[in-house]
Amino acid sequence: MDLFLMQIPQQIVNGVTLGSVYALLALGYSMVYGVLKMLNFAHGSVFMVGAFAGWGALSLLTRGNALTMSPALALLAMVAAGVAATALLGATIERLAYRPLRGGSRMAPLISALGVSIILENAAMLLTSGRAKTYQTELIFPQDWAVHVAGATISATRIAMFASSVAIMILLDMVVSRTKFGRAMRATSQDAEAAEYIGIRTAAVIAGTFIIGSSLAGVAGVMVGLYYTQIDFMIGFSAGLKAFTAAVLGGIGNFRGAAAGGLLLGLAESIGVLIAPPVYKDAIVFAVLIVTLILRPSGLLGKQARARA
Amino acid sequence: MKARLLNLRRTLSALVALTTFAALMGFAGFPGAGLVHSAANLSPIKIGAAGPYSGDLSKIGLDGLNAIRMAVEEANAAGGVRGRKIEIVEADDAGDSSKAILVAEKLAMDRAVLGVVGPMNSSTVEAALPTYQRAGLAIISQSATKPSLTETGYKVMHRICPRDDAQGPASAEFVVEVLKAKSVYIIDDKTAYGQGLSDEVEAALKASGIKTVRSQITLEDRDFSPILTRVKVAKPDLLYLGLANPAQAASIIKQAAGLGISVKLMGGDGLKEKDQLIAGSAGLAEGMYVTTIGRAITEVPEAAEFIRKFEGKFGAMSVFSGQTYEAARILIDAMRRASADPSKLTRALVMEALGKTAGYKGILGFPISFDSKGDVIGAGIYVYQAKGDDFVLVR
Repeated sequence: MDLFLMQIPQQIVNGVTLGSVYALLALGYSMVYGVLKMLNFAHGSVFMVGAFAGWGALSLLTRGNALTMSPALALLAMVAAGVAATALLGATIERLAYRPLRGGSRMAPLISALGVSIILENAAMLLTSGRAKTYQTELIFPQDWAVHVAGATISATRIAMFASSVAIMILLDMVVSRTKFGRAMRATSQDAEAAEYIGIRTAAVIAGTFIIGSSLAGVAGVMVGLYYTQIDFMIGFSAGLKAFTAAVLGGIGNFRGAAAGGLLLGLAESIGVLIAPPVYKDAIVFAVLIVTLILRPSGLLGKQARARA
Repeated sequence: MKARLLNLRRTLSALVALTTFAALMGFAGFPGAGLVHSAANLSPIKIGAAGPYSGDLSKIGLDGLNAIRMAVEEANAAGGVRGRKIEIVEADDAGDSSKAILVAEKLAMDRAVLGVVGPMNSSTVEAALPTYQRAGLAIISQSATKPSLTETGYKVMHRICPRDDAQGPASAEFVVEVLKAKSVYIIDDKTAYGQGLSDEVEAALKASGIKTVRSQITLEDRDFSPILTRVKVAKPDLLYLGLANPAQAASIIKQAAGLGISVKLMGGDGLKEKDQLIAGSAGLAEGMYVTTIGRAITEVPEAAEFIRKFEGKFGAMSVFSGQTYEAARILIDAMRRASADPSKLTRALVMEALGKTAGYKGILGFPISFDSKGDVIGAGIYVYQAKGDDFVLVR
């Protein structure tokens, strides 16, 4: 029992760290669903590409076991590489795989999304020969530096992850609620046809949404690489599932819901491990989803989603 | 009629010219071609190479495949199997049990396949054994250590690595006598190898009165914070990693450091991988102990030539490169002994000859023989420690 209680602070820290990644991913899912009413199952694979782009940047900036520039600049370059790769990929996918199918059956883009994700995963497998790549996190964040709170160790990596994901979410919230693009996005998600009538170029809005959503996945990819210290071509699969779960949990289409769903899911996964063996952590996540859907079919913040969106 | 005859004659003369040309080329091409003429005309013998060539374990798998290629190239340069050329049929199981069955069926269907090197993982061997048994196709695994594999009466099963029930007690002995640990936290990856080895280690530790805690992860896991938080709170003297994937072990070690955990580390033979464990953990694996089956071949004088050639061609060896090379050579040796007439080679003859392998001296540093169950006789368990960028023998 004592051992049980002693784990709680650390598991909460674990949950919040993981949750901030899930939240970023869930936001991308939710944004696309908001404007297009389609589930972008390729989102997890885009995240994987972002992780590899970040890894590529880091390896280019590394000579032997040392960075060729300051850690902060290198981190910036990694995030930039991740975002550039995923934004470009997101725009390309939208243009090639989804736009031609718009207006057709609702199933078509869904299948197309699955196809894109299979293509991306296999391409990554071929390019990496299926081998895992190591993120040299220790070059970016000091490994011997950490904050200790109530028995929990909070490493620099975790602090950076949480802080940047909160900052991104606040920024995104401001974009959506205060800018012209945000207004156009909200209008498109309310009624795309009507938005078109009042002069909103919905095609551009949709493309923009994909670019923003994919960029978030790119950031998340770099974060996860630094956090797990290892990536491979399969990381997108479970991350995509978790992000989808978080988005549904929060009420799909609702941005604040996605952020809340992500954090909650991360916490559920970590806290659940307190009671169940760690090997069941994914089962716990999906159990949370099922229970939520039974009690609140439209997700935690689903009601507001309809009123707001 | 006349035109046809003319045509026929023309074709005939063309044929004669061609044959003469081919024969001349043959004699000129390599000496001795005339001697093995009849055997060379026989179809090539095929050897299956089953292992994880894609996916999480592909590093170990592909290095193994390269070792098989080297063994076969060398054997072919030395006349193949009594004149018959040897070809490799690659069978990628990705370390996955269901795929292992599929590729086993593929190998079984190809009647020219007379023996198989691999599969590499205990789980894939376990899954595919019934298929190989039905096909009467002998397999020789370089690294499947789960004890039960040779206990269920499958005649096709052979392995050149000692079993986990030899590695388990030896590890426990080291933990008790040398490390003097009182409590051990064991993490396994639910694979037949990882879980099986951990079972053996745990049983042996318990028998010595050591307190053990056990948790599991899966091969797909990337986030080890939840389980490591348990480790952190349990404060064990030693963390034992019963894992099949050294890259995953490196990731656990790095994440443990991020949680402020500092604990002695130990693992099984599968983790002794320089690139992935030592380099992959950025040196955090320093001081980690790994048990190995047999000595590292870098210390065996007979293996120097192999290492030089292998590393010159493919870069740093993986933990099983030498064992895989040896497994392939033992299989080829058995094929050469199986029948004086290479055209009469069958799977049954190869299996019989493989089982009779006795005192085979190769690069592993001990003479290899099989007992009646297909287990290797004569291998010992050693303990190595990660120091700097390599492993050094400590016991």
